[in-house]
Amino acid sequence: MTLLLEAEGIEAYYGKSHILHGVSLSVAEGEVVTLLGRNGAGKTTTLRAIMRLTPPREGRVRIFGQDVTGWPTHRIARGSGNGGVGYVPEGRHMFRHLTVEENLRVPPPTPGQWSLATIFSLFPRLAERRTSKAGRLSGGEQEMLAIARALLLNPRLLLLDEPSQGLAPVIVEEVMQAVRRMRSEGTAILLVEQNAILALAFADRAYVLSDGAIIHEGPAAELAADSEKVKSLAGARASRAA
Amino acid sequence: MQLLLFGAFNGLIVGFFYALMALGLSLILGLNSVINFAHGGFMALGGYLAFTLAPFIGFWGALAVSPFAAAALGLVAERGLIRPLYGRDPLYSLLLTFGLALILEDMTRTIWGAQGVPFAIPDFLNHPLSDVYFFLTGYRLLVVIVAAVATGALFAVLRYTRLGVCIRAGNADLETVASLGVNIYLLRALNFALGILLAGLAGILAGGQLGLTPTMGSSLIMPSFVAIIVGGAGSLIGSLLGGLIIGVAAGVTTMYIPAASEVVIYLIMALVLLIRPRGLLGQEGLFE
Ligand SMILES: Nc1ncnc2c1ncn2[C@@H]1O[C@H](COP(=O)(O)OP(=O)(O)O)[C@@H](O)[C@H]1O
Ligand SMILES: [Mg+2]
Repeated sequence: MTLLLEAEGIEAYYGKSHILHGVSLSVAEGEVVTLLGRNGAGKTTTLRAIMRLTPPREGRVRIFGQDVTGWPTHRIARGSGNGGVGYVPEGRHMFRHLTVEENLRVPPPTPGQWSLATIFSLFPRLAERRTSKAGRLSGGEQEMLAIARALLLNPRLLLLDEPSQGLAPVIVEEVMQAVRRMRSEGTAILLVEQNAILALAFADRAYVLSDGAIIHEGPAAELAADSEKVKSLAGARASRAA
Repeated sequence: MQLLLFGAFNGLIVGFFYALMALGLSLILGLNSVINFAHGGFMALGGYLAFTLAPFIGFWGALAVSPFAAAALGLVAERGLIRPLYGRDPLYSLLLTFGLALILEDMTRTIWGAQGVPFAIPDFLNHPLSDVYFFLTGYRLLVVIVAAVATGALFAVLRYTRLGVCIRAGNADLETVASLGVNIYLLRALNFALGILLAGLAGILAGGQLGLTPTMGSSLIMPSFVAIIVGGAGSLIGSLLGGLIIGVAAGVTTMYIPAASEVVIYLIMALVLLIRPRGLLGQEGLFE
């Protein structure tokens, strides 16, 4: 089993407030791992620390076995010749005043399966709206655009931060279908979700984060079977409604 | 009528100098988050470099090469001085570019003299194109054409090239641009150089019209800031429009009330800020 991502003892701060206290996690080749936790637990900060958008003060990050601690964000995203890291931020972060097509021109062209043509066949909705301003897209279309944009780096690892946020259940299903397709292509995924039911149904393994520390780690199926435990650990809602 | 046209055309020329400056300042403010007080210094540098190069490569060669020479120096300044200050209190870069402006001005004075030098333009450009419109010389027409073409080229780069798309994306959200694998250090450097390229071009064009003096930069930079505020911070079209408006207004005012030609610029700014605080085409919420 090759580890695609290893984070070890991550300590992260926003100014003086200490947010992450020694977070360690890993994602193996082709694996889908979910990171759960209540609002404010530090899930987004964990992904930002991995991407070095919020540079961790302590700890190490290895990607594809290479120590990338201290690398600037764009180099982490591009990887070192063996596939990059796709990051789909919470809230999508569209370039709202750019068109769909312009949004997709931002990542540097990277050799691999995903190009503008294959992206448009995966997301026909985006192809239809290629000349629309991204700010005019629906929430679901924006999420797809954010995923599409990250895929253009041909990542071997995808970091997804709350892709279901603010979307109607039908749309969530549509987005998850695309994510499933990525998974079947062998892309490893680290999925941050507040919707624990949704995430556990999808993932191989789960971590639960609370107050900036990992408080649980184990197979997703095990946790999914114990809804009381999910509730006490991650404060998950019992329904699938987003 | 003749007087009005004369004033307006004069103003249009100066307005294009303001606009080229304001466009570069806007680019740098947007992506580099730096208020570049040294912009006028780079402008003068562009003009003086053309003055020095012209005897060797001719007027047209100097016109083509000097903006890029100025941009190269801008690149060095960005890499060496400004880059370490990104992400810190904006006051640092403000102080730095302010100091750099003084250094550039004194450097020009030391190298080329405090008196100023005339920048010779080809003789045929000096003649009026018609007897009625005596003020319409070939050189003035050239200024308008070159400035308009440069502005058009800038907008084409921003719209159609990947560099331009990344600059526009980075203006909105540089962090996300980096997370998509774009080298934002390089992007900011190129953007800074692009802004200085426009300043250098303005310096050469202005040099042929107004002559070269070490202080030409500092006298053109304040109106260029005013152009940005009038046009609306965050909008490049606004900067272009703002530059042309205050240029023409000042030009026309000079014809009738010479003493008010400078004041009118600030009056327009005050008026715009009163009626529409974000500027003519400014982004919502930036200043309100
Ligand atoms: N930019 C910021 N500045 C200061 N504190 C922040 C910032 N972003 C998040 N926080 C704080 O960090 C903690 C973790 O936030 P976050 O990682 O966004 O949690 P989650 O994604 O699990 O909801 C929260 O207490 C939040 O208030
Ligand atoms: Mg979050």
